[in-house]
Amino acid sequence: MTTLLRPTPTATAPAGSSRGRRRAAYLRTLGLYAVTLWAVVTASFLLPRLLPGDPLRQLDDPDSGTFVYDAQVRDRVAAYYGLDKPLVSQYASYFVDLSRGDFGWSISQSTPVATLIKNRLPWTLLLTGSALLLSSAIGFLAGVTAGWNRGRFADRALITGLSASRAIPEYALASALLIMFAVTWPIFPQAGAQRPFATYSSVFEKVGDVLFHLVLPLTALTLGLAANKFLLVRNTVIATLGEDYMVLARAKGLSRRLLKYRHAGRNAVLPFITALGIQAGFAIGGSLFVEQIFAYPGMGTLAERAVVARDYPLLQGYFVILSVVVLFANLAVELLYVRVDPRVGAR
Amino acid sequence: MTATTVVRPPQVPGSPRWAIAGGAVGGVILSVYVLLFLFGRRIAPFRPTELAGRSLESPGGDHLLGTNILGQDIASQLILGARASLTVALLAGLGTVAVGGVVGILAGWFGGWGDAVLMRLTDLVLIVPKLPLLLLLGALTGGSVVVLSVVIALLFWPTAARILRSQVLSLRSRTHVRAAKGFGAGTWHQLRRHVLPDLSLLFVAEFIPAAGRGVGLQAGLAFLGVGDPTLPSWGSMIRDAVAFRGVFITEAWKWWLAPPITALVLLIIAITLVGGAAEQRLSPRLARHTR
Repeated sequence: MTTLLRPTPTATAPAGSSRGRRRAAYLRTLGLYAVTLWAVVTASFLLPRLLPGDPLRQLDDPDSGTFVYDAQVRDRVAAYYGLDKPLVSQYASYFVDLSRGDFGWSISQSTPVATLIKNRLPWTLLLTGSALLLSSAIGFLAGVTAGWNRGRFADRALITGLSASRAIPEYALASALLIMFAVTWPIFPQAGAQRPFATYSSVFEKVGDVLFHLVLPLTALTLGLAANKFLLVRNTVIATLGEDYMVLARAKGLSRRLLKYRHAGRNAVLPFITALGIQAGFAIGGSLFVEQIFAYPGMGTLAERAVVARDYPLLQGYFVILSVVVLFANLAVELLYVRVDPRVGAR
Repeated sequence: MTATTVVRPPQVPGSPRWAIAGGAVGGVILSVYVLLFLFGRRIAPFRPTELAGRSLESPGGDHLLGTNILGQDIASQLILGARASLTVALLAGLGTVAVGGVVGILAGWFGGWGDAVLMRLTDLVLIVPKLPLLLLLGALTGGSVVVLSVVIALLFWPTAARILRSQVLSLRSRTHVRAAKGFGAGTWHQLRRHVLPDLSLLFVAEFIPAAGRGVGLQAGLAFLGVGDPTLPSWGSMIRDAVAFRGVFITEAWKWWLAPPITALVLLIIAITLVGGAAEQRLSPRLARHTR
C-alpha cells in the first residue's frame, strides 16, 4: 500500500528492453567521458606547443646567457629532450609517460611532478571532498526548509543570506573568517594543515589536529558551495507542494516531517545529484583560493607557486590530475543518475 | 536528460517590483564604476606603481586609504583597478555571447549531424574543470586582459549556446518563419529578419551574467598571479596584501585588503542586480515567445 502511494517521479516506464536502453545510456556516458579525458590530455600536450615560443630559443639568442655557439650542441640538446622528433612521436611518448605516472620534471622545484602531486593531492581531496559533503547536507536541509516555508521569514532570510554569500568570492570569505576566528578571536590556527613539526602520540591526536586546521578553510569553501544547491532544492520542493500526492499524503495524516523530507524532499534528490558533479568542479576551483589564504598545503598552493615560477610541467600535471579527479566525480554522478532515474533508460 | 545538462541557477523569485528597484540600485552603483573606468587616470592622485609615501601608512593626509607595504597609494590603485575589471567584463561578456550565439544558432538552425557534433562539444567543454585550465592558459599566454577575455569566452560559451539553440529550435518551426520560407526567403534572410531580432533579448540576458563571471575570474586569476603585474587590478592588490601575511595580524587589512574586496563584491552584486531586473523585464516576453 505505502509503496504504491510513495511519490516517485512520474515516468512512463518503457515496455520491453529497458535494460538494453539503460546499457546504451551507460555506454554513451562512458564514451563522452573517454573523449573528454583524451581531449584534456591532448590539450595539455598541444597548448604549450601551439603558443609562440620555444624552449630552445634561449640557446639561439646571442644576447642570452645560455647562448650556444655550436649548432651541433644545440641539436644534441634538442635530441636529449626529444624535441627533434616529429610531433606525433612526441605525442605518443607523452601518452606513454602519462600512463606510467610520469608527469615530467618540475623546473622550479627540481622534483618529479608526480611526487609533488602525490604529497599535495590528499589534502585537496580532504578539503574539497568534505566541503562537498557538508555543503550538500546544508544546501539540502536549508532548501527543503525554505521551500516548505515559502514566502515566510525563514525562506526570505535563507535566500538573502545564501545569495549574498554567492556574490562574495572565496578568498574574501576566507580572509574574513581568518581575521575573525584566527586573529580577533584566536580560536583556530591561521595557516597550514597540521601543527608544524608536530609529533603525535596517537592517531586520534593527529586526526584531531588535522580537523582543527580544517575548520576555517572548510567553512569558507562550504559557504560558497551551499548556495548553489540551496536554490535548486528549494525550487524543486516548491514545485512539488501543489502535487496531488502531497495533498493525499497530508489527507492520510502523515506527520509533517515525513511529508517534508520523504515526499517533498525526495523529489529534489534527482536535480540535486545532477548538481553534485558540477559542484565538484566548482569545489576544485574554490580550493585554489581558499588554500591560498590559509597557506594550506594542497594542490591550489602548489599551482599558485607553479604560476609564479612559470613552471609549465607542474601546471600541466596539475591540470591533468585535477581534470581526471573532476571527470571521475562527474562520471560517478552520471552513472548513479542512470541507476536512480528510471527515465534515463527510457529515451 | 543526462547529468551534464546545464543547471541554470534558478531565479530567486521575488516580486518584479523589488527586482526592478534592485536593478535601479545596481545601475547606480554600476555607473560609478563606469565613471571610474572612464576618468580614473584623472581622478587618481598618484600613479599606481609610484612609491608615494612611507610603508603601511594608515589612511589620512595625502593618502586617503593609506599605503601598502611598498608605500604605494592604495586609493589610486583602487581607482585604476576598475579599468581591468570592466574591460574583462565587457570583452568576456561579448565574447561568450558571440561564441555561444554562433554555436547555438548553427546547431539549432541546421540540426542534423552538425547539431549532434556541436552539442557533444558543448558537453565536453562543460565538464572540463575551468579554473585549472584557465590557470594553465593564463600562465602560458601571459594573461593580458584581452587574451584573458578571449580565453574566458572560449571556455564559458556552452551555457549561452544551449539556451540560444533551444530558442532557435523553437523559432524555426514558428509559423511566421515558415511563412517567410514559403515565400522563398533564403536562410540568411530568415535568420537576419526573423530569428536574430527575437534572440536579441536572450543575448542581453546571457551577456550580463557572463560579464559578472568575467569580473570574478579576472580578479581570481590576478589573485593567483596570472596577468600583467604592472597593471593595477583588485585581484593583484588582494594578492599583494595576502602575500604579506602580516596584513592579517596588523590593522593593515582594514585599508589594504578590505577596499579591493569591497570594490569587487559591490561590482559583482551590482551586475547581479541589473541582471535580475533585466530578466524580470525580459522574461515575460521570453515566456510568451517560447511557449
